[in-house]
Amino acid sequence: MRPLASLFKGWFLIRRDLSSSRRLFLTAVSFILPLALWCFVSYVDWIWHPDIKLQLSSEREGNSTVFTAGDHISPGYYQEMVVATRAENTRLLASTPPPKSSKRANQKLLRQLAPVAISHDWLPYTEAQNDAVIYHLWRDIATGTKVPTDPALTPENLDIVKQNWAQLAPLAADFSLASLPETPLLKLIPQGLPANPVYLPAPHEVWRSGWRDFKATPPEGELSMTQRYQHSLRVILLGFFWACVIGVPIGILCGVFDFFSKLFEPFVDFFRYMPAPTFSTLLVAVLLAGDAPKIALVFIGTVFQMILVVSKTTRLLDPSLLEAAQTLGASPRQMLTRVVIPGILPNLYNDLRILLGWAWTWLVIAELIGVKSGLTEFIETQGRFRNFDRVFPVIILIGVTGFVTDQILSWLHGIIFPWTGRGNPIAQAFLRFLFWPFRQLSKLSDRAGTPT
Amino acid sequence: MNPNRFLPLMVVAMLGLACGPGRAEPLKIGYSDWPGWVAWEIGIQKGWFKEEGVEVDFQWFDYVPSMDAYVSGKIDAVGMTNGDALVTGATGKPSVAFLLNDFSNGNDMVVAAPGIETLADLKGKKVGLEEGFVPHLLLLSGLEKAGISADSVTVVNTPTNETPQVMASKAVDAISAWQPSSGQALKAVPGSKPIFTSADAPGIIYDLMYVSPESLEKRRADWMKVVKVWYRIADYIRDEKNLDDVLKILSARVKVTPEEYEPFLKGTYILTLEEVIKHWGQSDDLKTIIGSSKKVDDFNVKFGVYDKPQDLAKYLDPSLTLELAKEKGIAP
Repeated sequence: MRPLASLFKGWFLIRRDLSSSRRLFLTAVSFILPLALWCFVSYVDWIWHPDIKLQLSSEREGNSTVFTAGDHISPGYYQEMVVATRAENTRLLASTPPPKSSKRANQKLLRQLAPVAISHDWLPYTEAQNDAVIYHLWRDIATGTKVPTDPALTPENLDIVKQNWAQLAPLAADFSLASLPETPLLKLIPQGLPANPVYLPAPHEVWRSGWRDFKATPPEGELSMTQRYQHSLRVILLGFFWACVIGVPIGILCGVFDFFSKLFEPFVDFFRYMPAPTFSTLLVAVLLAGDAPKIALVFIGTVFQMILVVSKTTRLLDPSLLEAAQTLGASPRQMLTRVVIPGILPNLYNDLRILLGWAWTWLVIAELIGVKSGLTEFIETQGRFRNFDRVFPVIILIGVTGFVTDQILSWLHGIIFPWTGRGNPIAQAFLRFLFWPFRQLSKLSDRAGTPT
Repeated sequence: MNPNRFLPLMVVAMLGLACGPGRAEPLKIGYSDWPGWVAWEIGIQKGWFKEEGVEVDFQWFDYVPSMDAYVSGKIDAVGMTNGDALVTGATGKPSVAFLLNDFSNGNDMVVAAPGIETLADLKGKKVGLEEGFVPHLLLLSGLEKAGISADSVTVVNTPTNETPQVMASKAVDAISAWQPSSGQALKAVPGSKPIFTSADAPGIIYDLMYVSPESLEKRRADWMKVVKVWYRIADYIRDEKNLDDVLKILSARVKVTPEEYEPFLKGTYILTLEEVIKHWGQSDDLKTIIGSSKKVDDFNVKFGVYDKPQDLAKYLDPSLTLELAKEKGIAP
């Protein structure tokens, strides 16, 4: 009784930290909550679901727009499609003698079952044109050897499969274009399920598309997902690197010498209000298309903030440290290299960690200028074709990359700067392990030095 | 101690930022999502350029940026329509066509939202299209044909690639674009339909490969090889046996499925070497490239796309095609 009651107590403490297990729990919940909401909206049918997502499509006479399985349409239009296809089949059955049809049209008609085969893994998704396998699938479904379950065929469609197979079976056991009938086969009636709008795909669809895209080998001349990812990382890191090379020294100088502060900071302050993307066309004109203008955009977007932040951090250094050094007779150069720089290092590290996150925000704009590239090009193309299930994995990847990098860097802070006292137990244990040999050595030398 | 120590470091860093490698010499060709140009992909993927012994560097662009890249000298040649080549020539950089890929046979469309059945219904409506380029030409010539004044519709300047989204957002009542964008628009708004297409005015839009006059002069032999590869591609596409393979290659480049791509091929009439010769001939109608260009030129001047009529003969050089035809025994 008591332990259960205490579970609900003490969650809301004013200005006091929770226990570490509760903090961990809440961190997990902060991720689980949006995920759960996403699942809820996606998988509970009576919430929203205004569209029909096609599982099986058919081409209609006199309509040049090709809808394929996976496309979203409105329920009204779906009804129109179903009615029109049924009408075509009825007309076909009624007409005597049967009209002529091209073998090609029948070949395409057989491929109507391809999405069913793919969703059951009877066919890899790249092989929607594998007529030999599809032809056997018609046989297997007609004879009941294979029973599709996801999506299951409606009784109406099962019937059509049987009728068509009755026509095909006497002609050839295996697929060949030449032996297809010259009269049209019956068309499968479109099937679909209620779905959310195309811009909100369900979690499993996003997972599946992401998995496919990252595993796929791209056609020649195009980049794989991993290559795109590397390219994006390169743009960010190089932009950030150059920003550090220029920004950190200037920032430190501005923080130490009033001369540089007044010389640089007013202009920097002015310049940082000009949004970096406004320079994009200029950068492309100067540096030509390629990676250079992209890196330069990340650089411009980051460096001015960096100078100001670093100079502020430098100014915050405890003045008593400088006074002490001066009293001990340090030269100005020694003050800079032995006092200022080591003194600000832990804070500088943190500044750079936050600024790296800042640099990431320029990625998308940088990759759009000149020749589109990297992950953004993929997002752009797929978004244009409304394949949002393929866009989300990339967006999530960028988020995860930023988050994980930041967590690792923040964890490393405890290891690199143990004296700031911000290290967590694991970092401290790691550190102890790392320095164990040195401790042993120093102990040994102590012992050797002590006269006994 | 001395802050000047940091200066050389900064200078080095700046230089590093500006440096880029400079190595060249393959023919640099820009191509975009028009089916007649995506067709180059067949030659690229099957290694036919290597077989022919010519080094090419095909660079993929959106259409209008591909012309910008040509104007800025980044590429030697680019796929353009005959109309847009005149616009680019009058306002940017002249070019000369040495290869005629195809004519648009329905792929360029004015797509209208449900409820709009004919061009006449467009009066007082908004149309999204890329101003001054080929979709604009298509709309204006459609309106002219239907006897409607150009002022009676409002044009909303929209990049062709963005037209499907703009159409879906209902910000405009119709759009003018080519495949795959026009098809995407039809899909994005179920029930919408094409109310005027290039099939209603075949020959108004020819698609060609334009090269800078200087590169054609310097590397004529290499461009000849490109022409040879093209007619190998054209024969491959026109052979029905290869349809599935062709659809697979082309659709993958523009990221749609082969089934969706099939109608695009029908809307693009790829010309074989036998067929193309008469289109290089002389006439006043849309049956020849010169006749079509004349129409478009008049049109562009009339609607103020540019001021002065262009010297059309300068834009066309059929000599490479005719040479190949002679070589193959097809009399010009």
